[in-house]
Amino acid sequence: MSKAAAGKPGLRVVRGGELSLSGESLLALLEAVLAKGVPFRFRARGFSMSPLIKDGDVLTVAPRGEARLRPGDTIAFINPLNGKPVVHRIIRLDRGFVVVKGDNVAETDGLIPERDVLGIVASVERRGKKVRFGLGAEGRLIAFFSSRGLFGKLLSAAKRIFSPATRRRAG
Amino acid sequence: MDPKIKMDALYVPSPDVVAREIEGELILVPITSGIGDLEDELFTLNETGRDIWDKLDGKRSPRAIAVELAAEYSAVPGEIEEDVRGLLEELLKRRIVVEGGGR
Repeated sequence: MSKAAAGKPGLRVVRGGELSLSGESLLALLEAVLAKGVPFRFRARGFSMSPLIKDGDVLTVAPRGEARLRPGDTIAFINPLNGKPVVHRIIRLDRGFVVVKGDNVAETDGLIPERDVLGIVASVERRGKKVRFGLGAEGRLIAFFSSRGLFGKLLSAAKRIFSPATRRRAG
Repeated sequence: MDPKIKMDALYVPSPDVVAREIEGELILVPITSGIGDLEDELFTLNETGRDIWDKLDGKRSPRAIAVELAAEYSAVPGEIEEDVRGLLEELLKRRIVVEGGGR
């Protein structure tokens, strides 16, 4: 190969948000960064965890380390069906496996081996602000209702109760 | 002032950088403030840049890398040396490589 054919060595600077990565590519980077023992920050895509995690929110996933997984934790894991990374909530533990489900989907993802858990979602940012609800102890309650298919109904009821129109009527 | 490369020193990828080949491109993710941030600045290297990166093993100086590449590319070592120097200075400025080695 001649140098002319190879071209000059070049370094390109890209804003991370400008990179369009496939699920497999995102997984490769996610695994590589977490393997260094540091958190990974990236933009979430999809609606399966809406409304607590929305399409376009920026997530920070911390390495799992020695942390014990608990129902209610929102985790990043490898989807065994397609090998892509997914962020969903643990609703149950089952002898070396976790049962995981998106807050906004009807079905669970099935049994996921604990070894396929990449990390735990440590923070969610929306339009530059931290969104804390859903990542603390309330996660257990969400997991409880979600596992019984009641979380969506609960949210709809809460929206009705706390909507401005309802409050005006009550006032 | 931008850092200068010493052609006979040894350089290695910074331990604070994660490098992964993604869809044919080498992507470099700096670990900034203890986080690998995909929303921040990332870097990619083209094929020739990748050839230089692969030789940054802490055993070969920039000059030795240039000599090897000149042979691989059938090119004039002096020209390649300038290219190696240019890329390494850019990488050093951004703390993607650090001086060290001898491993």
